[in-house]
Amino acid sequence: MTTIVTPRPELLDTSVRPDNYLTYTRGFLSWALTLDHKRIGVMYMSAVLASFFVGGVFALLLRTELLTPGRTIVSADTYNQFFTLHGAIMVFLVIIPSIPAALGNFILPIMLGAKDVAFPKLNLFSFYLWIGGALFTLYSLAAGGFDTGWTFYTPYSTTTTTGGVIPVLTGVFILGFSSIFTGLNFIVTVHKLRPPGMTWFRMPLFLWALYATAIIQVLATPVLAITVCLLIVERTMNIGIFNPSMGGDPVLYQHFFWFYSHPAVYIMIVPAMGIISEIISVHGHRQIFGYRFIAFSSIAIAMFSFIVWGHHMFVSGQSGLMNTIFSLISFSVAIPSAVKTFNWTMTLYKGTISLTAPMMYGLSFIFLFTIGGLTGIHLATLNTDVHLHDTYFVVAHFHYVMMGSALIGMIGGLHHWWPKMTGRMYNEKAAIAACIIIFIGFNVTFFTQFMLGSQGMPRRYYDYQPEFQIYHVISTIGAYIMACGFFLCAACFVQSLLGGKKAPANPWGGRSLEWQCTSPPPHDNFSSPPTVGNCYDFSMLRWDEKEQGYVVDKELEALAIAAEARGHS
Amino acid sequence: MLSTLTSIFIATASVQTAPPVVTPADFWLPIGASVQAHNVDLMFNIINYICYFFFVVVLAMMVWFVIKYRAKPGTRIRTDGMTHHTVLELSWSVIPLLICIAIFFFGFTGYVDLITPPKNSFDVNVTAFKWGWQFKYPNGAQSDNLVVPSNRPVRLVMRSNDVLHCCFIPAFRVKKDIVPGRYSTLWFQCDIPTGIEEKNGYHLFCTEYCGTGHSNMNRRVMVLPQAEFDEWLVKQAQWLDEIPDDELYFKAGPKIYARCQQCHSLDGTVGLGPSWQGVWTRLTSPGGARFSDGKSYADIIGPGKEYATPEDYIRDSIYNPGKHLVATYGNVMPTFKGQLTDRGVDSVIGMMKHLDEFDAKGAWTKTLPPAAAKTESKSEQK
Amino acid sequence: MSSASAEHEGHADHAGHADGHGHGSAEHEKYPFLAHHFETPAQQFDSAKLGMWLFLATEVLFFGALFVAYAVLRSRFPEVFSYGSHYLDTVMGGINTCVLILSSLTMALGVYFAQRGKRIALLICLWLTMAGAAGFLVIKYFEYSHKIHENLVWGPGFYIPPHDAMGEEESVALAHAPAPAPAAVPAPINSAPSAVPMIGAHPAVDASVVKPASMGPLGLGAGAVNHASAVTHDIIPDQLPSAHLEDAKMPPNTHLFFAIYYAMTGLHGFHVIVGMVVIGMLIYRATRGDFGPNYFTPVDLVGLYWHIVDLVWIFLFPLFYLIH
Repeated sequence: MTTIVTPRPELLDTSVRPDNYLTYTRGFLSWALTLDHKRIGVMYMSAVLASFFVGGVFALLLRTELLTPGRTIVSADTYNQFFTLHGAIMVFLVIIPSIPAALGNFILPIMLGAKDVAFPKLNLFSFYLWIGGALFTLYSLAAGGFDTGWTFYTPYSTTTTTGGVIPVLTGVFILGFSSIFTGLNFIVTVHKLRPPGMTWFRMPLFLWALYATAIIQVLATPVLAITVCLLIVERTMNIGIFNPSMGGDPVLYQHFFWFYSHPAVYIMIVPAMGIISEIISVHGHRQIFGYRFIAFSSIAIAMFSFIVWGHHMFVSGQSGLMNTIFSLISFSVAIPSAVKTFNWTMTLYKGTISLTAPMMYGLSFIFLFTIGGLTGIHLATLNTDVHLHDTYFVVAHFHYVMMGSALIGMIGGLHHWWPKMTGRMYNEKAAIAACIIIFIGFNVTFFTQFMLGSQGMPRRYYDYQPEFQIYHVISTIGAYIMACGFFLCAACFVQSLLGGKKAPANPWGGRSLEWQCTSPPPHDNFSSPPTVGNCYDFSMLRWDEKEQGYVVDKELEALAIAAEARGHS
Repeated sequence: MLSTLTSIFIATASVQTAPPVVTPADFWLPIGASVQAHNVDLMFNIINYICYFFFVVVLAMMVWFVIKYRAKPGTRIRTDGMTHHTVLELSWSVIPLLICIAIFFFGFTGYVDLITPPKNSFDVNVTAFKWGWQFKYPNGAQSDNLVVPSNRPVRLVMRSNDVLHCCFIPAFRVKKDIVPGRYSTLWFQCDIPTGIEEKNGYHLFCTEYCGTGHSNMNRRVMVLPQAEFDEWLVKQAQWLDEIPDDELYFKAGPKIYARCQQCHSLDGTVGLGPSWQGVWTRLTSPGGARFSDGKSYADIIGPGKEYATPEDYIRDSIYNPGKHLVATYGNVMPTFKGQLTDRGVDSVIGMMKHLDEFDAKGAWTKTLPPAAAKTESKSEQK
Repeated sequence: MSSASAEHEGHADHAGHADGHGHGSAEHEKYPFLAHHFETPAQQFDSAKLGMWLFLATEVLFFGALFVAYAVLRSRFPEVFSYGSHYLDTVMGGINTCVLILSSLTMALGVYFAQRGKRIALLICLWLTMAGAAGFLVIKYFEYSHKIHENLVWGPGFYIPPHDAMGEEESVALAHAPAPAPAAVPAPINSAPSAVPMIGAHPAVDASVVKPASMGPLGLGAGAVNHASAVTHDIIPDQLPSAHLEDAKMPPNTHLFFAIYYAMTGLHGFHVIVGMVVIGMLIYRATRGDFGPNYFTPVDLVGLYWHIVDLVWIFLFPLFYLIH
């Protein structure tokens, strides 16, 4: 077995290289043509946040329209386009690339101790694919928009008269390849670029999560690509494979679509779970509880994700036997999710918990994910799902998981690594306030929708029965509260960029490798090779009055490293 | 805890045989009025309580730990927490697994009941189209709202004319997608009559997104006692025939118009189809509206032309809606061939001719039939 | 970027080089193709190879969905597939299979020669592979054009006699497609009057213009017989285009066989074209002398890609040509 390389414990080497990846080269082209994974990550992050803003505006317009039954601000057709756009933008442009492509790109190689991802050019190419896909989506608006719902169910999507369907499908196809290439890059990086000493079970859990995500991205996305291809061909050339009047089968389309889109849910949530594992242990300053169970549960979720897609189709006309099988398998996803939730909670036990902004997001995540996950049981159970399918209950459930968990996890991660990415601290109190506002707004918005749904309000409804109005009004108010929270959060980041305090290399007392390089990291990530140790061993931290936080005590660390080296030799 | 759960489930199983009762609306669920609703609700509530339990456990642990182990400035790092505990971790893998299997099993049995219609069911043929429903009964009667007998299983045999639709009756806890090119079925039995009043009926929604009018594809389900239902059924089959010819347009017209009103307004409001306001004037005046192929009404209507009379044109527009499209309107209207009889078409035409007697919603504003019966004889030629 | 290698000192070597500490920069000087973030050529090669295998996995899934569509359609309409297969030319398909397998062999030899630094032999192999790919496409072109000439196409066009299909194929097709009224359950065989105007360019008077999705469940197949009756008087069956339209035994929905045939072979053909492009790039680089025993990664990777393209065809050939 490889011996651990422990050169010298001179680790927080901030003085040697003032140069960092942001200032390494200058000029527009140095960014546009960069092969540096950090810059690509930052570009992804900006693009994703911009898309999030657009998708969020659509969400607010939707909620405003739903204030009253019938017309409030827009017509039914416009409303249909709005919810389609909200869904398509949030899923394909925001949540799927948010953690792997944006945060993952920045963090994964540093956390692993590598200089870059395995294929930097492919990485840049996949970013431009994302841009291309986004441009196609944008162009579809100019071409007449699309009102198919983000699921593009046939035969509606092949017969609707809106002109933007083919452009947006092309966009989705391109975005799919962007996602595939990112995943491919990550798998190879994790397999081949681990430095000596970074064994599989020394990898931080975020890397396990990204690895599991990458597997799903690589294996599920091609099916989406071919499906939208077929849909484009169906719409332009009328080949009839999904067209019932020509002997084709619309349910086949649904199978194809969900074969990708169910795993896609885990592309969204698994990396967020990885982030939470990091946040809870780093800000709780405590060894993660049950490392192996959490690591394997990520892989288990990735595996299970491929065999449960049929639970989206319990009432679609697939056979009762298939429904039964898919229902049974769907429950299996509950197990790894439960393991993770309990392990995170146990990590708090006997910790030294700092209630920083990332930690607040982490706690919010556990709260929201527990609700999102538990309501999944209602939907996996056959007879209750028949009642709840395609109602607001489903809407609330997947917002709790996709937004309350995946997106909150992403924002938490952004706070966690913000000092590393920008070299600046943000205003902690304002960030915590933003988190609390978002948390309250989120629950007001979406918890109401559980009740709406179980009371029988179908989703994608422009007009509704008057008895549902009170819920809709509350939900809309929640959406506005949430918007305020996000604006405060954005303001916080802008303030940090403009005049934030300079960030130290390791503001939280983290132990994984990215905290060993300077903030922001140098061009090649590490000026001296990082020491790979137990990334969840916080015993060498001590309280530092000057920093008002926990820092790594070099003497304690040297002792720990020596002890570990003895243990291994 | 497991044993308590098991006993609850056993209780569930035994309740299945008990006579069904209405489950009143509560915080979560609307009124449950079908024989199946009780089981679904019970399952829903059991899952709810399981969820409450686990949510409270996780939340309580989280809050307690955060308060107890919160770091105050200067606190030393604790290193006494355990790094893993295999028994504990296995137990919170296995216990949820067992609970899930139990939930699956009871959900599954409930589902089998939900999808298996009893043999003696009463069949109603349902056609879903953009954006409406049509219900056809064994004796040939048709209706826009679903009317079913009580105390008897009802099976809906559903088909779609265009895209995916989905029939959802929240109060009965049943739902089924309607896939074009296939028949889907759905069954329920409701023991609580509502009467024929539309406002007392249960909601019926379309829950598969189908375009512009998706949210208006809702109807009511009225439940009548068997005797009353039989009476209604006979009357419904004949209702058009029983109305005298000269009263057709104001008695039958508004009822049929209810199916047209989503797209065709009476007051000139722009909809998916041309408004009926002034339609007869347009049809009979020289020139008239233009079609998307550039022709005008006068080009196709008139002796020796494609349609001899405006009535012919209207009739064909209802049966073959896509043939001539009024300029700027899309080809979205479904055909009503086989749904509207000649007398039905006559009522619509009559209504178009007397639009001044109707308000914007299609209600007849006069109280007495016009003294001199206007000649409807032209339409009787067919 | 590899000029920055001076700063890479101190990085440990890749596992397997027991004494390889601190030679990162030396490796970079020795091997100009070594990217800055790799430590050794072996690491770079392994990464590239793993990446390629993963890409091939996505390709398998990409085609996989189409194979699933094939399986679903075939299980639903077995008669359509065994009937439609008669119209495919087994000889041409067989020749194409041989051509592709041979080109796979030359590609494999190319990798062998690249590893041993035999530039001329490598170039010959690459050119032969390129010729095989081109030959495959030429034969495919003849197959396609023959079928299109015979009106064996996808969708509604399948049912239109070719002299109608010129130009306005789509619109005419939609108008001509016999559309049973939604309520009608048994297939209404449209009577003669509806067939007569089909010779002309104008839609039949009572043909519905409802969009295809509204045609109801029966499918287009029901109409084939009518078209046949419309054209028999001036066409001798089996000798002129659209012979299938005369065939009373043609099962309904036969157009689906050709839809999936064109979709799968078309996607495969696209992969062959991409293969030709990348082989062309290899030829360019091989001519320049880029490859040798130390560096042959691109040849190896393209070889893998080319084998998977062949492999897909080896499945396509029996599934389409050999099932009657």
